[in-house]
Amino acid sequence: MEAKKTKAGDWRSYQRVLLPPVKDLHKLDVYENNEGYKALREVLTTAKWDPTSVTNEVKKSGLKGRGGAGFPTGLKWSFMPPVDPNIPRFLCCNGDESEPGTFKDRQLMEYNPHLVFEGMLIASYAMSIKTGYLYIRGEFADWITLMEEELEKAYAKGYVGKNIMGSDFSCDIVIHKGAGAYICGEESSLMSSLEGQRAYPRVKPPFPAQKGVWGYPTTINNVETLACAPLIINKGGEWFSKIGAPSHPGPVLYGISGHVNRPGVFEYPTGMLITDLIDEVAGGMRGGKKLKALIPGGSSTPILRADMIEGVTMDADSLRDAGSMMGTSGMLIMDEDVDIVSWLRRITHFYHHETCGQCTPCREGTGWLENIVTRLDEGNGQLRDLDILLDLCTQMEGRTVCALADAAAWPVRYTIDRFRSEFEAKCSTDSVPGGGVLETA
Amino acid sequence: MPNITVDNETFEFDGQPRLLQLCLETGVDLPHFCYHPSMSAPANCRQCLVEVGMPQINRDTGKPNLDESGQPVIQFMPKLQTSCSLDAAAGMVVRTHKSSELVKRAQKDNLEFLLINHPLDCPICDQAGHCPLQNQTYKHGPEGSRFEFRKVGKPKQIDLGPNVVLDGERCINCTRCVRFTSEISKSHQLTIIERGVRNYPMTPPGIEFDEPYSMNVIDICPVGALTSKDSRFRARIWEMSKTASISTVNARGANCFYWVKDNKIVEVTPRTNMDVNEYWLADEDRLDYRKFNDNRPLGPTISGADVAWDSAYKAVSDCLKGVDGTRIQFLGSAFATVEDNYLLSKLASAVGSAAPTYLAHNEVGHGDTWLRTDDRTPNTNGCERLGIHAADVAALKSRIQSGEVDVLYVLEDDPVAAGLCSVADLSGVKVVLHYYNSTNQTLPAADVAIPAAMAVETVGTLVNDQGHAQRLRPAKSIAGVNRTLSMEIGKCRADRHGTPFDKWYDESNLVNCQPGWVSIPRIAAGLNVEMNYKGPRNIMAELSSANDGFSGATYEAMGEHGVRLSEMGVTA
Ligand SMILES: Cc1cc2nc3c(=O)[nH]c(=O)nc-3n(C[C@H](O)[C@H](O)[C@H](O)COP(=O)(O)O)c2cc1C
Ligand code: SF4
Ligand code: SF4
Ligand code: FES
Repeated sequence: MEAKKTKAGDWRSYQRVLLPPVKDLHKLDVYENNEGYKALREVLTTAKWDPTSVTNEVKKSGLKGRGGAGFPTGLKWSFMPPVDPNIPRFLCCNGDESEPGTFKDRQLMEYNPHLVFEGMLIASYAMSIKTGYLYIRGEFADWITLMEEELEKAYAKGYVGKNIMGSDFSCDIVIHKGAGAYICGEESSLMSSLEGQRAYPRVKPPFPAQKGVWGYPTTINNVETLACAPLIINKGGEWFSKIGAPSHPGPVLYGISGHVNRPGVFEYPTGMLITDLIDEVAGGMRGGKKLKALIPGGSSTPILRADMIEGVTMDADSLRDAGSMMGTSGMLIMDEDVDIVSWLRRITHFYHHETCGQCTPCREGTGWLENIVTRLDEGNGQLRDLDILLDLCTQMEGRTVCALADAAAWPVRYTIDRFRSEFEAKCSTDSVPGGGVLETA
Repeated sequence: MPNITVDNETFEFDGQPRLLQLCLETGVDLPHFCYHPSMSAPANCRQCLVEVGMPQINRDTGKPNLDESGQPVIQFMPKLQTSCSLDAAAGMVVRTHKSSELVKRAQKDNLEFLLINHPLDCPICDQAGHCPLQNQTYKHGPEGSRFEFRKVGKPKQIDLGPNVVLDGERCINCTRCVRFTSEISKSHQLTIIERGVRNYPMTPPGIEFDEPYSMNVIDICPVGALTSKDSRFRARIWEMSKTASISTVNARGANCFYWVKDNKIVEVTPRTNMDVNEYWLADEDRLDYRKFNDNRPLGPTISGADVAWDSAYKAVSDCLKGVDGTRIQFLGSAFATVEDNYLLSKLASAVGSAAPTYLAHNEVGHGDTWLRTDDRTPNTNGCERLGIHAADVAALKSRIQSGEVDVLYVLEDDPVAAGLCSVADLSGVKVVLHYYNSTNQTLPAADVAIPAAMAVETVGTLVNDQGHAQRLRPAKSIAGVNRTLSMEIGKCRADRHGTPFDKWYDESNLVNCQPGWVSIPRIAAGLNVEMNYKGPRNIMAELSSANDGFSGATYEAMGEHGVRLSEMGVTA
């Protein structure tokens, strides 16, 4: 097959760096033998690396957050206020990974946990932080145990804790187990949850860098984002910035699920053609079926119809032009047999189930959306229901404390927008409005 | 001072107020639910959204960019902002529903959401008529509902504790009640449980919502989700009159409203006074009101036999006539007003008796560091300022028992119940008793018993433990015509609900009693002692200039929120 020229370059010969093919890499000794903690050592023992230069190197790399919003990581780190020895500062590594279609952080925690620890330590050094929390969703029980064991080993070896590698930099890592709620992945909710409070997101401002965990300056990054830090130190920001799409560079974990022959997590450069990812990386459509639609980065990113993806690559710019977002790069692939109304029903159920219930539009809107989509799916909906749905989206979007309301509204808005005829086809011709009262789920 | 522009009107502001508070104070009636001035702003109800803009600053010069007409260019934030969580800032430009269609729409949309799972059973809800959700829906809400599904069911009629009942379905999840327990009372007895649309407040497992201030959550709840176990469903808001007055359950004198229906007190709620009780009222201040309604005397008596008021007054005068003043013991009262105690002092000195003393009613350990005090009377401080000091109970008891007291004159207290002496001890003593309730244990020993108007029936002044002088106002009327009382009643009516006070001016349940400032001058007159006051207002006017301890405490100055008296004059 002839290789198409893409932003991802010669991706077929790409060498994995986040999840390199090394057996038992999760074990500390194996990790050590594969350049493990080399970046940390370099940062702590070389005069060249003061905290600011680490942040600058990350800025140079062009790394953008992998947690969904794609915020430039170096810039985020530089938001931390000047160091005041009397005021503690915190790092939170966000391992709550719960967005439907997203399952890539888990892979890092399972196969390369020390890279995550090392990334947390480098970030902490860059921001003069002495405590890093690793917040992991409770359902990842096995990997939490694994990471706790490995963290203990890293402590024993002096990679974590007091005066790391003989330097005057000390930093603790605390693994915190969530109790299983999607909302805990939202950064301010994560902080509330960490503090032992109800996981209600907080109004911003104040932003975490001003007032985060326990009211102190805090930076929150995704697991995959932080795992990039040691690579950037080892090979340089410039090296990183040349991988994949120039405006959104780096290696990225594509979590591909749905109707493909080989679903899974695949590490490649950003800027991959969606078609390459489906046809080659994921082994093509299952059973030779036709692609109908996909969501590129977790269930809240706008759905794309098969006819919208020609030439579209997995990076913020290209996806924006196509009418969607990069999100978490958790790609959900749907074939021609998918009933899109049913699919949307399942998605609206998720957000209804997961809203924290704090804000009026989100608490009430998510359930109402599910009610109507359910009615449509059951063939009892009316045409006017589609207008109500779009109206409700407008009533939710941008009017809440956190972005969950937007995440809940977008799938509805874009699915109706892009598959309207399928919704219309399912509407009842029954002239009785409402077609009877439905039970709420 | 910095400027802010709201709906095209520019005004100055002071300090760092939250935008919503500033709007409310300048008369822009922004709808809101979760915001409360005393607590943090989680901005969860999303009702107070406004458009907010700031002057665009030129990056090079650091100065605002100006348009052609020389006005700063205003850059509006891309999203609507919650005004409750935003601090007002210099140059800020705000558009509320009065000038923005977007804001208007957002307010309406939000109310539509709030109502979809709300029971909408206003006709049977206690909050109807004073419900922020109901009021704001009428003002800003949609006309109907597009919601065609079953509402979410939640637990109803849950006793959160001894005094507060929850209806989970009515709750709109503003978290005010929860924040009250975490930020104000610090009892941490409430939290939100469940998730999403099923959320409602609850106590943690094994914990009862029994803190001494629990009922405040009822007032701050913006809907009828939290009700008072004591007074729920007893009267609609428009069937009651409400009077701004003072609680008399302890020495703090928290400011309150007395709610009256058919001349009975049905509820007591807090009245904001930032110098005394802020927004709050202890449960004890609310629950101790039945004494105003029940066991009230039918009229004056002589040795237990009903008599006319004139005969009773004459009998009292006769008791005092010709008795050696040193053998008369006057007991003032820390339950009674400054005015009544003052008149009693005058009477005592007119008959050559020593200054009255009062019986202290302290309950050691009852008080706390907030609004409750060990002292269970409302006017100890006022008595002290009048030179009426606590009685030496043991000494007085032995004087009574050894026959050194010929007349015991008791103003609004119960010496037998207070443990001063027994009824038998008083067999050789002439007893004059001004009293509140027929349960008064000194009553059997009384030669003349004068029913006294209680705090909710009189006009007068009380001085709280911090030296704050505050006015009592009559919340209900008594039998007989008293022009002074009627005028005060007329003046203190703050009718928020548009109904005339016919419910209050009810002929039923009128208690046949008199305020001290009516009865004491009548008794004095029988002794040819003149007490020429038009009413308590004039008594305070005299005291405020004659006694340093009351300097400045005129009725006009005390107004609705009282006057902080100087420390001087307090003789402990
Ligand atoms: C409802 C909601 C859920 C989220 N869940 C996650 C999550 O599970 N993991 C994550 O890394 N970020 C999640 N985010 C994004 C975080 O708020 C935050 O932006 C991110 O952790 C920042 O990391 P980054 O800058 O490295 O991307 C979520 C956001 C929202 C609004
Ligand atoms: S938007 Fe939804 S999930 Fe986010 S804080 Fe508000 S109610 Fe909670
Ligand atoms: S019970 Fe009332 S005060 Fe408490 S959260 Fe619900 S609506 Fe708010
Ligand atoms: S009052 Fe501002 S969000 Fe509730």
